[in-house]
Amino acid sequence: MNDPINVLTLFLFNIVLINIPLLYGTVGEIVVEKSGSLDLGVEGTMAVGAMFGYLAGCAANSLAVGLLVSFLTAGLCGLLFAVLTVSFQANQNVTGLTITTFGLGLYFFVGKGLGERWPAMTGSAALVNGFSAFELPLLSKVPVAGKVFFSQNILVYLGIAIAVLVWWYLNHTKTGLRLRAVGENPGAADSVGVNILLYKYVHLIAGSGIMGLGGFYMALNMSGSFEGSNCWINGYGWIAIALVIFANWNPVLAILGTLVFGFFNTLQIYSGALAGAFPGGLGWLNAVPAQLFKALPFIITAIVLIASSVRKREGSGQPAALGLNYFREER
Amino acid sequence: MKNRQPLFHVVKREDSRPGRQLLAYVTAVVLALAVGAVLLAVQGVEPLTFYKQMLTMGIPGSRYPWRAVENFIKLFVPLLIVSLALALAFKMRFWNIGGEGQFIMGAFWAGFAAMKLGEILPKPAMVLVMALCGAVGGGIYGLFAAALKVRFGTNETLLTLMLNYIALYFLQFFAETKAPWNFFLDPESARPKFAKFPAGAQMVTVPIGPFNLNLSLVAALALCVLIFVYLNYTKRGYEISVVGDSPNTARYAGMRVGRIVLRTIFLSAALIGMAGAFHMSSAGVMSASPTNDVGWTGIVVAWLAKLNTLGILAAALLITVLQFGCQTASAAYPAIDANFANLLQGVILFIVLAADFFTRFRLVRRAGKEAVK
Repeated sequence: MNDPINVLTLFLFNIVLINIPLLYGTVGEIVVEKSGSLDLGVEGTMAVGAMFGYLAGCAANSLAVGLLVSFLTAGLCGLLFAVLTVSFQANQNVTGLTITTFGLGLYFFVGKGLGERWPAMTGSAALVNGFSAFELPLLSKVPVAGKVFFSQNILVYLGIAIAVLVWWYLNHTKTGLRLRAVGENPGAADSVGVNILLYKYVHLIAGSGIMGLGGFYMALNMSGSFEGSNCWINGYGWIAIALVIFANWNPVLAILGTLVFGFFNTLQIYSGALAGAFPGGLGWLNAVPAQLFKALPFIITAIVLIASSVRKREGSGQPAALGLNYFREER
Repeated sequence: MKNRQPLFHVVKREDSRPGRQLLAYVTAVVLALAVGAVLLAVQGVEPLTFYKQMLTMGIPGSRYPWRAVENFIKLFVPLLIVSLALALAFKMRFWNIGGEGQFIMGAFWAGFAAMKLGEILPKPAMVLVMALCGAVGGGIYGLFAAALKVRFGTNETLLTLMLNYIALYFLQFFAETKAPWNFFLDPESARPKFAKFPAGAQMVTVPIGPFNLNLSLVAALALCVLIFVYLNYTKRGYEISVVGDSPNTARYAGMRVGRIVLRTIFLSAALIGMAGAFHMSSAGVMSASPTNDVGWTGIVVAWLAKLNTLGILAAALLITVLQFGCQTASAAYPAIDANFANLLQGVILFIVLAADFFTRFRLVRRAGKEAVK
């Protein structure tokens, strides 16, 4: 166990395992933001998806049902956001924050309310099996990388597949390109006949649904144990919002970004073990305060945000109409 | 060609009727309580009994009713000040969602002053120094984001959001690091634990019979009046509303928009920092998570009140009653969590946001040829 290569492999393995929910949250938020909406409700949306997806998955003893329900319930949060901001022209920041407040309130209300009736994950074989390692043939035999990338659970592969699919959708399909037009300049898109209302609604619901899948993942990763004080999502929704900026609104870069943020996130847990395994090279890790690792994703994002605004460079992926409501009569 | 116009179109209202708005609020609260009642009933809790306990906040029949009022004030004051301060920024359409971070920075520097000077300075002076340190600490933290926004157009929503977490972990570093240099911690305790402030740094209270009036309540109410006057009767307050309505108009009129933004955001963040300082001296000890989510809830309050100073007073009172009431009432029910307040708060705001639409816009039916006009 103290073999340095084992420690390193386990560390890298956990970077992927623990942080994939960030990828779901980020890709979902990218879909939402590309339609021009800044949804600050990621944390609450993920919490809702996590709670109901988990409960449904346990009740039906099925991973697919869990995924579906988490997608749908989180999608309802997106629908709510769409009704309020798109149809009713409400302020996006306030609506998003309210979804977070409401979502977390609902999460604790349901969890606490179940009390003794809370289903344990061990009671549902389908969830346990679905979340256990699925070794890809041949590839998983490669040293280190085989364990890190090719012996993960199915939901890890699903998350990466969704990220790539969304990237392809945004860049290589007609609807994807139109969606980006809606986020950049809804007035222009409207004038060439793009149905703004429909595009915003559909992508808010779908993006929020993807966030919900990330919530479901976190529920399984926490072995479905509910605590009255801490939500499963535990700030991942906020990190996802940061990650969208870091990844420059690109879902494939988001995979990379997840690994970078995940690296710091996991380092705070593993710094002791790594320092022990490599006393010569990594002994200094013990001296770094854990809080710095926690803050680093936000520090890096703040720097990226500032740097990109200073350079005003071409090719920033930030949609021009991000956060602005579209009111047709003022076109 | 067929007429493909939608059946209705949306038109901005020219008039604003306060009566209609009031109706929207009352409806929102009643509907939220109704939704909550259904949820409570599902959990097997008698809704009326729960609500009675929530709205009376356990004050009647308590052995120490005044203690409950004092605790209520400790929750109410930070929320009121933060909401007032955020409204200043929002009036200018500066989306300061960094209230949490500015509050933490205010609390941190107030705590710093308390630990360093608490033994030296006498009581009222020390509390004042803490408030000043908190205001400067929070103000500079907000000014950082404002300066970048003014100079480079950095997105302030996302930047202040990041700064919240940086401040949080900054404070946690001092809360969790046991070291000889860390004067924040209790040297007696083996585990990292904040030391109590020296007596001079505790909030000034005025005893009125059995009740100890927390002086920060007086300060908060005075701020309410001052901000009302500032916004409505001073040149600077007027400039804020012009910049908020249209920065281009302001520029055309010869206002220095950048400077107005910097000044207002500093003021806003400084007030939030001061709220953090008040909160620290009322608590008498630092905390690793001092905000009680006031930076977020303040946004809700400011928005519920439409950034109106008097409205903020009412909305802050309502939200504190919900939160404090749920805290006390849920103690009697294991199945209900204090977070129930957040659920109610969310439903209220959803309904108000939706109802806003009908006070700001109206639907006009399109008919026949009129639509082609």
